[in-house]
Amino acid sequence: MSNFQTIEFYKNKKKEYSLLPFRFECLGENNYVVTNLAGEHLIITRDALENLVRHKLNSSSADYVNLRAKHFLTDDKTQIAKELLSIKLRTKYSVLSEFTGLHIFVVSLRCEHSCPYCQVSRQSDDKVKFDMSTEVADRSIDLALRSPSKNIKIEFQGGEPLLNFQLIKYIVLASKTRGGDKNISFVIATNLALINEEILIFCKEHKILISTSLDGPKEIHNTNRPRPKGNSYEKAVEGIQLAREYLGIDSVSALMTTTQNSLGHVKEIIDEYLKYSFLGIFLRPLSPYGFALKTKTYAAYNADVWHEFYMEGLEYIIDLNRKGIKFREYYTSTILTKMFTSQEVGYVDLMSPSGIGIAAVVYNYDGSVYASDESRMLAEMGDNSFELGNVLINSYEDIFLNPKLLDPIEESFAFSVPMCNECAFEAYCGADPVFHHGVFKDFIGRKPDSEFCKRNMKIFKYLIKRMEHDPYVKKLFMSWAQPNA
Amino acid sequence: MEVTITFDANVYSSDAIKKAAYRSINKFAINIVNDGSNIKCSLTFKATTTESQIKSYVDEFKKEVLDQDLRESIKKETEGIRNLILAHTFSKTGLIKDE
Repeated sequence: MSNFQTIEFYKNKKKEYSLLPFRFECLGENNYVVTNLAGEHLIITRDALENLVRHKLNSSSADYVNLRAKHFLTDDKTQIAKELLSIKLRTKYSVLSEFTGLHIFVVSLRCEHSCPYCQVSRQSDDKVKFDMSTEVADRSIDLALRSPSKNIKIEFQGGEPLLNFQLIKYIVLASKTRGGDKNISFVIATNLALINEEILIFCKEHKILISTSLDGPKEIHNTNRPRPKGNSYEKAVEGIQLAREYLGIDSVSALMTTTQNSLGHVKEIIDEYLKYSFLGIFLRPLSPYGFALKTKTYAAYNADVWHEFYMEGLEYIIDLNRKGIKFREYYTSTILTKMFTSQEVGYVDLMSPSGIGIAAVVYNYDGSVYASDESRMLAEMGDNSFELGNVLINSYEDIFLNPKLLDPIEESFAFSVPMCNECAFEAYCGADPVFHHGVFKDFIGRKPDSEFCKRNMKIFKYLIKRMEHDPYVKKLFMSWAQPNA
Repeated sequence: MEVTITFDANVYSSDAIKKAAYRSINKFAINIVNDGSNIKCSLTFKATTTESQIKSYVDEFKKEVLDQDLRESIKKETEGIRNLILAHTFSKTGLIKDE
């Protein structure tokens, strides 16, 4: 008798393996996407999924090897899988312990535009009533600097913040003086109509970035964004060019909002961004808040219509890249970063636990503090569910331990929300209690009825299928997953 | 319009059926009765739902019950590894005082 085992002994032996936590979702037909705790994904057939769960998967199969490599199962060869998964998870959630990094200062609610989808602004000359005071600014700076985060970003918003530029100057100088070893950066979100050399010289001196609005070509932009002389577009593009002369091309970014006027024109909108040498675009749907609801602009399109718009835009951008024109869609990039890396990009809508208060907080012109920009928009509709206190009377502890912040974060945490807790895309998605409260009057909502859920699920499935079918797209998307690449 | 579907209670749990039904909450209302050996589901559709839609929603529901059954098995086997995450959330905020 031989001292060696026969070849059959080693062949097709079913190894004992243990499952690691994972979720799955049907992609249509016989294909399923499986995602592990860190958000890594694979596509497998229904049979392979069934075999995996029933411990019938053959250890020599390609599925077994792939699933083991991506930490869906562990066997005697891969005891390190649990540790690797833990490290990836820890990296992903490490941003939470930094707490609030983005501090939004609403220095004035006044605006010279009267956009129908605008959430908050007022057309008024009453500076006392609608501008932030120095006292409110001082108290807000104190709170911002209490954040444990080493990196603090202060974003000036409005209304039109440049209507209260003197206060912006004050806040920049005061926060730098009082900031100690914090790295403080600044952004002004402005329509650029009031930009001038004096402002830009100050911005250059203090490395202040500019974020503006560009809704597309002249006709779309000016229809979306009415102002007295009907020249919002002209002001924006002149402002973009002037700001770039002083601050450099990378210091000026633009955002668009999709309205009914935008539908059917996504290519022209993207072309406009290319014309002004932007490196990408954020195809952004309207939110169900403020004037967008009151003026029925929000109701102009649903998740399906928006998805068509987004898909057409994304396909156009993919084709541009195929032709050698480097350009990206930023919402897609955010999702892809979550899919392919352990980085948390800190985009409030796509965070769970929710990013309200944790990733961003808003100090309103009158001293009231809101858990997010959308929270103050809800408040403008009379819903103060996310008003955390007032800087003039409340302490840091009062504000950040307020049940109005902690309850929605806890209740909406996707790990314990029906449907989200079993959803394969949970790692890419967010809790967004403010959206769901705005629509359903509770922090969770019924996900099968949620436009937020529908819109994002469609995108996740589309991106995964698109990569699966086209190696070029996969390579392109993997490059978009690197935010600074 | 009402459709009745019966599942074997020895094969499927009430939980799996409830979770599957939740995913279709926007398509039909459901009443679930478990008599120990069978789980009887009565699905009520809106008057505007067409016959072909009903057929597709019922098929979808049955497939979803199978998926939920798999999810249950995964959950049972992997429950212990899940809860390591939240501790990180407020760890460095300075908001948690020492006892």
